[in-house]
Amino acid sequence: MPDYKRFPLPDVGEGLVEAEILTWHVQPGQAVKVNDIFVEIETSKAAVELPAPYEGVVTELLAQPGETVAVGTPIIVFDIDPNGAPKESTSDSNGTKIGEESAGGRIQSLVGYGPKTGAATRRARKGATATTVVEPPAPEPEPVVTGGYVPLAKPPVRKLAKDLGVDLRSLAVEGQVITRDAVERAAAPAAVEAPKIVSAGERETRVPIRGVRKATAKAMVDSAFTAPHVTEFLTIDVTPMMDLREKLKRHPEFRDVKVTPLVFAAKAVCLAVRRTPDINAVWDQANGEIVYKSYVHLGIAAATPRGLVVPKVHDADQMSLRELAEAISALTVKARDGKTTPADMANGTFTITNVGVFGVDTGTPIINPGESAILALGAIRDMPWVVDGQVVPRKVCQLSLSFDHRVVDGQQGSEFLADVGALLADPSIAITY
Amino acid sequence: MAAPVMDPKVTAATQSTRLTMGKAINLGLRTAMERDSKVIVMGEDVGKMGGVYRITDGLQKDFGEQRVLDTPLAESGIIGTAVGLAVRGFRPVCEIQFEGFIFPGFDQISSQVAKLHYRTQGMLKVPMVIRVPFGGGVGAVEHHSESPESLFAHLPGLRVVSCSNPVDAYWMIQQAIDCDDPVLFFEPKRRYHEKDEINTEATPYPLFRSKVLRPGSTATLVSYGPLVKTCLEAANAATEDGHELEVIDLRTLSPLDLDPVFESVRRTGHLVVASEAAGEVSIASEIADRVQRECFYSLEAPVLKVTGFNTPYPPSKVEDEYLPDLDRVLDAVDRSLAW
Amino acid sequence: MSSPEQWTHPEPGGGPAATAATPTREQVLAGLRATNEGGAELVELLTPEGERVANPEFDPYVADIGAEELRRLYRDMVLVRRADREGNALQRQGQLGIWVPLLGQEAAQIGAGRALKPQDMAFPSYREHGVAWCRGVRPEQILATFRGTEHSEWDPVAHRFHPYTIVIGNQVLNATGYAMGQRFEGKVGPESDAEATMVFFGDGATSQGDVHEGFVWAAVYDAPVVFFCQNNQWAISEPTERQSRLPLYQRARGYGFPGIRVDGNDVLASLAVSRWALEECRSGNGPVLIEAFTYRMDAHTTSDDPTRYRLSDELEAWKLKDPIERVRAYLVRNGLAEADFFEQVQVDADQLASELRAYCFSMPDPPADRIFRNVYAEPNPLLEKERAEYAAYQAGFEGGAH
Repeated sequence: MPDYKRFPLPDVGEGLVEAEILTWHVQPGQAVKVNDIFVEIETSKAAVELPAPYEGVVTELLAQPGETVAVGTPIIVFDIDPNGAPKESTSDSNGTKIGEESAGGRIQSLVGYGPKTGAATRRARKGATATTVVEPPAPEPEPVVTGGYVPLAKPPVRKLAKDLGVDLRSLAVEGQVITRDAVERAAAPAAVEAPKIVSAGERETRVPIRGVRKATAKAMVDSAFTAPHVTEFLTIDVTPMMDLREKLKRHPEFRDVKVTPLVFAAKAVCLAVRRTPDINAVWDQANGEIVYKSYVHLGIAAATPRGLVVPKVHDADQMSLRELAEAISALTVKARDGKTTPADMANGTFTITNVGVFGVDTGTPIINPGESAILALGAIRDMPWVVDGQVVPRKVCQLSLSFDHRVVDGQQGSEFLADVGALLADPSIAITY
Repeated sequence: MAAPVMDPKVTAATQSTRLTMGKAINLGLRTAMERDSKVIVMGEDVGKMGGVYRITDGLQKDFGEQRVLDTPLAESGIIGTAVGLAVRGFRPVCEIQFEGFIFPGFDQISSQVAKLHYRTQGMLKVPMVIRVPFGGGVGAVEHHSESPESLFAHLPGLRVVSCSNPVDAYWMIQQAIDCDDPVLFFEPKRRYHEKDEINTEATPYPLFRSKVLRPGSTATLVSYGPLVKTCLEAANAATEDGHELEVIDLRTLSPLDLDPVFESVRRTGHLVVASEAAGEVSIASEIADRVQRECFYSLEAPVLKVTGFNTPYPPSKVEDEYLPDLDRVLDAVDRSLAW
Repeated sequence: MSSPEQWTHPEPGGGPAATAATPTREQVLAGLRATNEGGAELVELLTPEGERVANPEFDPYVADIGAEELRRLYRDMVLVRRADREGNALQRQGQLGIWVPLLGQEAAQIGAGRALKPQDMAFPSYREHGVAWCRGVRPEQILATFRGTEHSEWDPVAHRFHPYTIVIGNQVLNATGYAMGQRFEGKVGPESDAEATMVFFGDGATSQGDVHEGFVWAAVYDAPVVFFCQNNQWAISEPTERQSRLPLYQRARGYGFPGIRVDGNDVLASLAVSRWALEECRSGNGPVLIEAFTYRMDAHTTSDDPTRYRLSDELEAWKLKDPIERVRAYLVRNGLAEADFFEQVQVDADQLASELRAYCFSMPDPPADRIFRNVYAEPNPLLEKERAEYAAYQAGFEGGAH
C-alpha cells in the first residue's frame, strides 16, 4: 500500500515567503534516494537546489516550472512505501511528524511556512470567564498603616464627584471601588425603578414613597414652608406674539426650529430680569446674604414618566431666540427620555412652568428651592377682548408669578410681571430693551 | 571568615566609622576581596593610582597585581575579558571610569554579559559587577555627567542597582559581588564625598529592595542615586507648607521593587518621581506605568516626573538649570496636589 | 620602480610610498596576492597532491602521526564533512532554519581540534562543528541552535567548548579573559597539567575592535591563548583584501607576538602548528596568532548565494586543494589504507548522517515556558509574575497552550 508524503516548499532563506520553480530534476515514477537533488528553485536571494527528504518513488509534481509558489505549499508527492502493506491512516494531528499531512490537511513543517502569511485568525477562548489574572504568590505584606487610605475610584468618577461636590470619603467602603452611580445618587436622589404596588386590602392601594416623588415632595415642602409666597396674576392678549410666531415659521433662520409660546416666555423673562434683578436673586439664610446672580439659569418644568423634573437652560440670558428654542427643545426631549442628568438640574435661578399645555389657565406655583420666583404660563385661548372699543375674539393667555417676599417686594414683583406681560403682548417692545 | 585588614579609619573600639561614600565602597570592595579570593578588580587606572575617584585606593598594594588589574584602555576589552574570567570561575568587578565611556562595552554587555546564562540554559553563570560613576552636578566636561541607567535596565538578564548614601554603598557593593547574576552598579559621583556612620556589624538590608527613608502622608516622592538627597531636602522644606512627603529610595532599578511605592500611593494618592536622566523612555516612565496600573483607583493626580530634559547633557555652566533641584521637585508636588 | 614585495612588508623608512596617494599597479597586485595566495611563508606538510614535504621546524610536532593516526584524522574529516552536508540538506528540507557550512575547512578544524588537550579550553565562532567534534560535542547537539529549539545545547564546562558566539569577534575577548584566568590560577608553566585556550574566528572578524582588543590584552597579560584565524577568503560577500592590506598573520607583529600562516587545507600542518602554538602558550610564551589559509567551499550560510559575488573558477581552483582528497591520495599511494578501510569510513559516515537525520526529525519544540527559564541565576519576582500571567492567559484558550 503506498504511503504518500506531500513535501511543502520550505523557507530556504530565513524569512522567504515564496519561490519560483526553475527546473525539475525528477519525473513521476522515478525512484529517488534521500538527498538526491529533485528540483531547483529561485528565491529572492538565490537559486537553490533542494535535496529529497525521503527515499521512495516520485508520484506527482504539483507545480510547473516558472510557477511561483508560496512557502508551505506542497510541491511534490513521494510514495515512500511503494510495495508496502496497508497502513492505518494517522488522523491525530497532534501526532503527525514534520513533513507528514495531518487529518485537517495541514502539512507539518517546521520552518516551511516561513513568516506567517495570510490573515491571522483567532483562537477559541474557553467559556465566559476567560480573562482571569492569576495572582502569583504575594510576598509577605509590609505592616499596613492603619486608616488614611485614599477612597478608591476611577479618575473620571473622581472628577464627577468633585464637580458635584460629593466627598468620596463619605462613600468609601474598604476595598471597594466607588462607582459613578454611587456618586450620582449621592449628589441628587434619582431612582428609576417603577413604584412597587403593595396591596393591603381590596379598596386601598399602597405605593411606597421613594424616588422622584420623594424628592419632589421634599423640595415642595422646603420651599412652601420657608419662603413666604405671594402670587400675582396677569391676563394678556398675545395675538401679536402668535402673529410673530407665524411670521417666524416662514423665516429661513427659524425654519427648522419650533418657537413655542414657552420660548417667547423664556425670552421675555430673560429680558425682564434686566429691569428687575431681584427676581433672579436668592435668600441665603445660612450666610445671612441675598445672592444676586448675573446669569440666568432658566428652569423649565417638565412632566416625565419619572415625575416632575426641572432641567435648566444655563445662561439663558446669553441666548438668542433661536438658541433658546433649541435648548428648550433639547431639554424637553431629554427629560421625556428620562436622561436628564443631575448636572442638568443644578443651579437654577428662575423657573417657568407651562401649565398651558394641559389646557389650564393659571395656578399658584410653588417656587423651586434655591430660587426666588416662578412663572406659570397658561393656555392660549380665543377669548373676547376689547380692541379699540370693540369686543373681538383675541388670543388670550394668563400669567401667574409667585415670588419670595423676603427677596422680592410687591412693587418689584408687579413690575416684573408687567414687563413680561408687555413683551408677550407686544414683542416689538423688546427693541426698547 | 578571615579577619578584615584594619583600615586606619576604622576605630578599634567599635565597628562603626564615619566614611565618605567613596571610602565606603572601598571598604566594601576590600571586605569582599578578603572573603573570596576569586574576587578581582579590573579597570583603567584602578591599580597603582587607585582609580580616578580613589575608590580602589590601596587595593593593589594589599592584594597584588593579579587581583587588581590596571587594564589597557578599552571598555569592550575590560568587559569582554571579564566575561571570560567569569566563565573561568572568577568574580570580576570591573570599573568603567565614567558612565559616558561605557558604550564601547555595550556590545559585550548586551550580547554576552546579559545573555550567556540564558543562552546556556544556566550552565554558565556571569557573576560579575560593573561599577560605573554616574550623574552630573560636578562641573565636568562632556560625557562625565550622564545617566544611562535605563539603557541597561532595559536588558533582560542584567541587574541594575544604584546606591544613594554611604551605608548602602558599603553593603550593596558586597551584595552585588555575591550575587550570581551580572550587576551594573551605578555610583552617584556627586555624592562620593558625603559622609555617614557605617556599622560593619549591622545586618544589611536586602539588595533588590527599595526603602522608605522618610514616612509621610501628603504625597510620595520616589528617586534613586544622586537625587535621593535632593528629595529628602525637598521633604524637609515642604513641612513649611504643612506637607508631609514620603520619600522612597528605589535602590534597585532592575528588578524594580515597587511594592512600597504602591503601598505609599494608596495612602497619599500623589506620586512624583525624580531622576537626573532624560525623562523620555526612562526608569521614571516605567514607574509611572506600573503605578497607574496598580494604583489606578487611588490616584488623585497623574504620576508626575521631574527629570533631566530630553537633550544631551548641557555644558556645565547651565547644568543647574538641567538637573532637577529642590524647587522643581516641590513644584511637581504642588502641581500634583492641585490637580 | 618600487618593489611590489615591499608593499606587503611596509617598514618605516624602508618601504615605498604610494606616490600622491596612488599605488602602482604592481603594488596593488602585490597587495591582492598577499591576501589571496599562501605566500612563501605558508607552512605546509602535505601538498594538495598528497605529497609529504619536509619542514624541519614542524615535523617534530607530527612525529607521532603514523598510519593509524593519519587514518583516524582522515575518518574525522570525512565524518565531519558528511554531517555538515547532512545539516545543509536538512535545512533545504525545512528541518532547520539555517545551516552554517564548514565545507572545505575540515582540515583546519580537525587539525586544531586534535591538538587541544583535555584541559585546554576552546572558544568557537559559529562554524566550528569540526572542533566541536574533537571536543566530544555530537553533531546532534549542534542542531538545536540552527533549528531554533535552543540557543545552545551542550555543556560548555564539561566539553571545554564555549557556546557558539554569533556576534563577530566577541568570543576573542572572552577567550582572552579565560586565558588570563588560567595564568592567574598558575596553570601556565612546565607542569604537565598546564593549560591553554584556543579561540576561533574568521578573516572578517579581524576587522572587529574586539579582536584587536583581545590581541592587546593577551599581549599585555601574556595570556596563554592561541588566536586561530580561519581565513576562508570570504566574509559573506567581502574578500579578505576588504579586511586587510597585508596577510593576516603579519598583524601579530604589530602587537608583539608571533604570527604564522599555515595551509588550512593540510591537516598535518594544522595539527603541527596548533600543537606548537598551544605548547608555547602552556609554557608561558603566549599568545600566538595562527592564520589557517583555507577556502569556504560553500556559501556563508544557507541564506547566502555566492554566485552573486564570486567566480566559479575560483571555486574550481580550490577543489584541487581539497583537504580530504590529499590525505586519501597519500594513504593510498603509500599503502597505508586498504579499500575496506575507505568503505568502512563511508559506512560510518552514512550511519552518522542517518542518525543525525532521524534525531532532527524527532526533535520536540520547547515548551512556551522555556522563554522564562534561566534568565537569571537568582530568583526574580517580576519575571515570575510575568510568567504566571502568561500561563493564565494561555489557560484561557480552548485546547490549552499551543
